[in-house]
Amino acid sequence: MSTINQLLSATPQLWRGRQDNRGQQTLPTGHTRLDRQLPGHGWPQGALTELITPKPGLGEFRLLFPALAETSQRGQWIILVDPPWIPYPAALQGHGLLLDHLLVVRTGGGKKALWACEQALRSGRGGAVLAWPEHISFSRLRRLQIAAESSAKLAFLFRPANAVKESSPAALRLQLGADNRRGTHISILKCRGSRPTDPIWVPQLFSAYGNHRRHTQAHATFTEHTINTALAGRSLSATVAGPVHPRTKH
Amino acid sequence: MPEQDSAAGQQALPRLAAWCYQYSSQVCIPGARNGLFLETGASKRLFGSTEQLGKRLQQELGQLGYHALTGSAPTPEAAWLAAPEGLHIATQADVRRQLGPLPLDRMHFDTAQRASMERMGFRQLRDLLRLPRKSLTRRFGPALPDYLERTLGIRPDPRAMYHPPQAFSSRLELQAEIHNCQGLLFPLKRLLEEFCGVLRGGDNAVQALQIIFGHEDHPDTPLNLGLQSPTQDAGRLLGLLRERLERLRLPQAVREIQLEAATLLKFNAGQHSLFRDTPAEQQQDIRQLAERLQARLGNEAVSGLTGVEDHRPEYSWRPRTLDERPECTPLSHRPPWLLPNPKPCVIEHFEILAGPERIESGWWDGHDCRRDYFIVRDHHGSTLWAFREYKPRRGWYLHGIFA
Repeated sequence: MSTINQLLSATPQLWRGRQDNRGQQTLPTGHTRLDRQLPGHGWPQGALTELITPKPGLGEFRLLFPALAETSQRGQWIILVDPPWIPYPAALQGHGLLLDHLLVVRTGGGKKALWACEQALRSGRGGAVLAWPEHISFSRLRRLQIAAESSAKLAFLFRPANAVKESSPAALRLQLGADNRRGTHISILKCRGSRPTDPIWVPQLFSAYGNHRRHTQAHATFTEHTINTALAGRSLSATVAGPVHPRTKH
Repeated sequence: MPEQDSAAGQQALPRLAAWCYQYSSQVCIPGARNGLFLETGASKRLFGSTEQLGKRLQQELGQLGYHALTGSAPTPEAAWLAAPEGLHIATQADVRRQLGPLPLDRMHFDTAQRASMERMGFRQLRDLLRLPRKSLTRRFGPALPDYLERTLGIRPDPRAMYHPPQAFSSRLELQAEIHNCQGLLFPLKRLLEEFCGVLRGGDNAVQALQIIFGHEDHPDTPLNLGLQSPTQDAGRLLGLLRERLERLRLPQAVREIQLEAATLLKFNAGQHSLFRDTPAEQQQDIRQLAERLQARLGNEAVSGLTGVEDHRPEYSWRPRTLDERPECTPLSHRPPWLLPNPKPCVIEHFEILAGPERIESGWWDGHDCRRDYFIVRDHHGSTLWAFREYKPRRGWYLHGIFA
């Protein structure tokens, strides 16, 4: 029995179904509803998190903004490995992600991307690595998981819908889905240290864009400002945008 | 500390002197002798007793491919005699006692002198030391008593000190030709360890170096290695070279390897905290990561981002090097992703959520445009950024993703 207890306390890969995973370091996601469902009430540090999205544009990147903003403001680095599009500096900065702690790596994909990912995960201590692997085998995922453990990094992998069927050593697997009226919902497919729960709706993420009534108001505000492009930015952010503000504490 | 390695050893002495500089700030290359003098009294607390230091030097030089003998004494000449015997003489009084029994053929006298000593019945060093100076001068001239007095420390023995150079160059001829790049790692490791010893000795670091692979009958293959920050760490350099060698095509087998560093920089070792999580350490780690990635993927592969003052989104950003400071006006209502090229779309397929936001700019640089931007949603529930363009082409385009 004592051997079992020793194993349980020494290896984070082993846990009891009902037990809260206390050994896991986390960083709050910035979304109260999501935090409440996650073991440790935040993104696991030193472990892989998979975000499975059927289509881009569901807020899968912005979901991470509060945590990424916090990371960069702590002086730690955010590393994007092969981002699928161009990161828009003004938008990132607008959500509190400091550009002087952002690194973009372009590998051309394939094995090189996974190698770069592993290097990024192993380097230094703390910070976050985001990657968009096309295909990734279980053993490769396992290597990334070990690399993430070694440096206590936040490691986010954005994966296509068919990844749901594959098994994965990731500590946390979330599936994002969209509903036209209610915004984006998040299902926890797997979380180390507790049992998956019912889908969580994160309306505050997208309410600004998803709520029809708010939309018409916003529309009215904008039309008044069509000429002044420079100011349009400010009026927009006041009325519509900022669904996820980095400093917002719920 | 004599070096038992004939002509090649003699050639290596200046380099080894630079290497030894990490153990003593006073290194001397005695002319025409196959060895070096190090003043170690001042570094005793750092490196322990002279025996310990001697063993360490022998071992580390052995790893670099040199066979070394070490000994120590209060005077350079006495140390020179002590080294082949492996003696470590602590005080001046001990010199006479410990070196006295040394047979005279171990001394470095010329043959004529040796022969006359033999005839006079001198067998050991102590036989010479017993004689008064006057008598020695009469028999052997003034040079011998001078030498003995310098050995015993009666007469001062000032020496010209070695000063490490501000550049480094070393050549290694391979014993057998090496055909594949991976095979080069072993000799390179040896060169780099020697080089980094020299760097540590002069409290220097390197940020750029060149490695030249020499072939039998083909022009040399040069390999330039640049780093994000100065280093004196052989492991880091070797790691980078390993990546570079994987990509290197050798036209022919390698006969010799040359390492050149034209400029050495002053090393600035930061304090290390236990968890490596201070901003300075994070900075250092990210630079080393960038270096490793660039070594394999090319310099273009790693960059930061900065904003550019321009209202047109496609011109409002560019990559930056890690030395540049980013500047950017924050716009939180813009999408986090921009498409590299705006994609024509049919607006009827989308639901407009917000907009328009007018962007009109660029009349001065020939990329004049007038657009109204909208936040839209498609039937999958994806939120996108679209614009209606009036100038130069009319139509609807997708330009960003609210991922």
